[in-house]
Amino acid sequence: MYISPIREPLVTGSKSYKQVTDDITKPMDGKPGRLWFVGLGLALLALMLGGVAIFVTVWDGIGSWGLNRTIGWGWGITNFVWWVGIGHAGTFISAILLLFRQKWRTSINRSAEAMTIFAVMCAGLFPLLHMGRLPLGFFVFPYPNTRDLWVNFNSPLLWDVFAISTYFMVSLLFWYMGLIPDIATIRDRLKRSFKKKVYAVLSFGWTGSARHWARHESMSLILAGLAAPLVLSVHSIVSMDFATSVIPGWHTTIFPPYFVAGAVFSGFAMVLTLMIITRKALNLQNYITVGHVESMNKVIIATGSIVGIAYITELFMAWYSGVVYERFAFVNRAFGPYWWAYWIMMTCNVITPQLFWFKKIRRNLAATFIISIFVNIGMWFERFVIIVTSLHRDFLPSSWAMYSPTWVEVGVYLGTFGLFFTLFFLFIRFFPVVAIAEVKSVLRSSGENFVRKGVENEK
Amino acid sequence: MDNQFVITKNIKTVLTVGVITGVLLIVLGLIFGSWTEERIWANILLNGFLVISLSLGAVFFVAVHLIAESGWQTTVQRIAEAIGSNIWLGALMIVPIVFGVHSLYHWSHTEHLDSVLQLKQGYLNLPFFILRMIIYIAGWTFLIYKIRQLSLKSDSSSDLKVFYKLRTYSALFVVFIAITSSTSAWDWLMSIDAHWFSTLYGWYTFIGLFVNTIAVIIILVIVLQKLGYLNYINDEHLHDLGKYLFGFSIFWAYLWISQYLLIWYSNIPEETVYYVERITNFRVLFYVNVVICFVVPFFALMSRGNKRKVSWLLYTSIIVFCGHWLDLFLAIMPGTTGDAGAGISVLEIGFTILYISLFCFAIFKSLTKGSLVPQNHPYYKESFDYENIK
Amino acid sequence: MKNRQYITGVYYDDKELLDGIIQIQKSDIPIFDVRTPFPVHGLDDVLKFKRSRLPRLGFVAGTLGAILAFVFQVWVFSSSWPLNFGGKPFFSVPSFIPVTFEMAVLFAAISLVFGFLIKSGIGPGAPALIFDERTSDNVFLVVLEFVDDSHEQKIFNVLKEAGAEDIKSINPSLQNE
Repeated sequence: MYISPIREPLVTGSKSYKQVTDDITKPMDGKPGRLWFVGLGLALLALMLGGVAIFVTVWDGIGSWGLNRTIGWGWGITNFVWWVGIGHAGTFISAILLLFRQKWRTSINRSAEAMTIFAVMCAGLFPLLHMGRLPLGFFVFPYPNTRDLWVNFNSPLLWDVFAISTYFMVSLLFWYMGLIPDIATIRDRLKRSFKKKVYAVLSFGWTGSARHWARHESMSLILAGLAAPLVLSVHSIVSMDFATSVIPGWHTTIFPPYFVAGAVFSGFAMVLTLMIITRKALNLQNYITVGHVESMNKVIIATGSIVGIAYITELFMAWYSGVVYERFAFVNRAFGPYWWAYWIMMTCNVITPQLFWFKKIRRNLAATFIISIFVNIGMWFERFVIIVTSLHRDFLPSSWAMYSPTWVEVGVYLGTFGLFFTLFFLFIRFFPVVAIAEVKSVLRSSGENFVRKGVENEK
Repeated sequence: MDNQFVITKNIKTVLTVGVITGVLLIVLGLIFGSWTEERIWANILLNGFLVISLSLGAVFFVAVHLIAESGWQTTVQRIAEAIGSNIWLGALMIVPIVFGVHSLYHWSHTEHLDSVLQLKQGYLNLPFFILRMIIYIAGWTFLIYKIRQLSLKSDSSSDLKVFYKLRTYSALFVVFIAITSSTSAWDWLMSIDAHWFSTLYGWYTFIGLFVNTIAVIIILVIVLQKLGYLNYINDEHLHDLGKYLFGFSIFWAYLWISQYLLIWYSNIPEETVYYVERITNFRVLFYVNVVICFVVPFFALMSRGNKRKVSWLLYTSIIVFCGHWLDLFLAIMPGTTGDAGAGISVLEIGFTILYISLFCFAIFKSLTKGSLVPQNHPYYKESFDYENIK
Repeated sequence: MKNRQYITGVYYDDKELLDGIIQIQKSDIPIFDVRTPFPVHGLDDVLKFKRSRLPRLGFVAGTLGAILAFVFQVWVFSSSWPLNFGGKPFFSVPSFIPVTFEMAVLFAAISLVFGFLIKSGIGPGAPALIFDERTSDNVFLVVLEFVDDSHEQKIFNVLKEAGAEDIKSINPSLQNE
């Protein structure tokens, strides 16, 4: 396969196959460092706080949250949408970028997909808690029952149940199927021990037989083909929770694709935030290169601009529609009591990512790290603006209200951070952060030594 | 490998026959058919938009691949460029609608506007409409001219600077089209139903025209191959183009259902009116549109083998092209001619044949202007040495 | 039954592996297996694998999922428990589309994964027949099988000619027993 010499190598440092294995599995050898324990400790602490907050929510009821009659959805749903959005980068990277033959995905897809799975877990918690009593969560599944009732398939909230559980399932399968060859690598490196036995079970008896590989590739491609529309459908359906209603600011047809773009936007921001630290901490700079960061930044600017155009389209259409309620809703967003949320959203989502038009900033790790955090914040506020600002001015002025969260809501939110990071710290300890086999498969075409050889042949 | 395209006598004859047939059919339609002024203007708008949108879609195809650093498409890049560089023709074809605004756009009758349309007058007024049209066309023509020039320049120089400059202009074009594709769709199509609004409309129209462009690129590739050119385009390239058509047809359907489902579900009269009109008075065409724009390419191109069959791709592309023509028909006719005055007769067919024949003339002319492959393109060689995963 | 015996040859480069296999195929000795640390491009062509039928399985399962989901929703709302929502008809196709799509994807994905696992004979705790533990690291291994001892020397020679290194007769270790 010919590769143009002007392409940037995806693996730097002239690595051999053996070095790839050694470098990536190294963080799993020996005892974890102090940093890891500190991180895990903090995450567990946040998780414990979340546990307390969840306990209060379940024990006292939803009344312990700051919601009221007008504003029935507050931080809970904001966080739900935010986490689901973050969960969009992983499957986007591993499915859609696979279909588009973007080779740079190989270094980041494993960890991004892990983040997807953890983020969806965090997201799923919020609707469950929002039901007030946890056993009610059982009622969303259409099983034959003595009440002789079915679930309401006409409700977008139920579509969500199906979309998110399917998404979780498919992402998990996709992720794990990609993981088994790498688990086999770890198994084969270990001396006879209990640990080896565990990894042997987890590796599903993978041998690396050519026949299995061929089938594995075929399956991955079809799974990617299935996951690609699935990624789009999930956040589209989440957006329909809002857009099928008649609330001004919620009901707008651009919502499905705009939510998807926003989700990929925030997902990539989260991946960048974590990978910039992880690559340094685990010494993976040769695999997750500045080139990778730049590519991700390009995705951020593309999706960020799509989101920006959608904001402006919405704003314009609210005026253009001539509907007084629509017009009010958007003026109220920008200049009403929650104006600060709107302008934080605009600054963080539309303005700061535009800095990535400059190549210097795109390739600057510190700048990228800061902007990615800005995006995370901005995308949280986007959901807050959509949910709270649209609700707090009801059609009936007598029910206009304000909303602020209680410590319980904040606690649950911090708790999901705890869950996310606990799982992430465990993941980087026990599984390879970079897809070993996939990196090896692009090494010949995109490793630095091979690219250089190609340049020499050219001359 | 013959990379220089020559217009043969045969091509000229076929296209001339096309032009004459088109004119004849229009004349026939005018003499024997029933028609109104609105119907003529609607046809001019439909085909003008069709042609200009193909140019825009084609340059978008080139530009987006250039900035995404893709390699496989270099073999078809010149074909897309040839379609795109005729933006002037599309512009010439769409500009006349300015003279037909009173027949096409209800909002232009400023003497009797209802309260809603009065609220919109800040945007929907003739001077601003013309100003916007000038901005779109000037911007598109300038950027496309630059892109085409730089690309042609790379035939004679292997300087990478040309390529990087090309990429800069591509990025500018993508940004410009991202905004203007929506606004021009609002101006020229959505404002026909002046009261109605939908935030998704611009993106929906854009993806529609992009799918249509891909279908046209496929048709052109296959035609050129039949004429004995492009023998280096192999199964892998066809497979990729087929995937493109398949994928974006699904994406089009996704946007279609997003718009339809949300309006249907909320059931707000101001919004549903758009679909009510189309479902009651254009019932058959409304469903046929979805079938041939989505169901046909979905099942026809699902399997790997079909994407690699020339004839299969060709017929699917032609069907998809007809589908998106119909999509435009459904966007324009109900609001301009109404159901009583609309129809697909020799008049409509004549107009489309005439416009497409003229457009093909221009495309073939552009193809002769440079090599059929951008040889100094830094990713040019990659395009000949890759395989799709099985 | 006589114990199966295997001879393995090692390559350290995927290009050499492909050339070597073509060389081995010129003799009449069948290749038992090839073990690689990653999917080697072009290997399936050289080994003349048939195209996997997994795509077809996915299509069938996806269609089944879609039909089941759609029919079920129609049945629930037009006969089992009609529910008025916004005054819309009980049989409302648009609102059945999301769930139908999700179920199609779910069925297809699960059947694909299980099809892959079953067809490949792997799964949680499945025993792995491992000839060389380095095949998941950097070694490309060609495995030939023989029953008759007289063949042994011939196979050795074939492998040597095909450029393989570290050729040895081996009794594989079974992991996970």
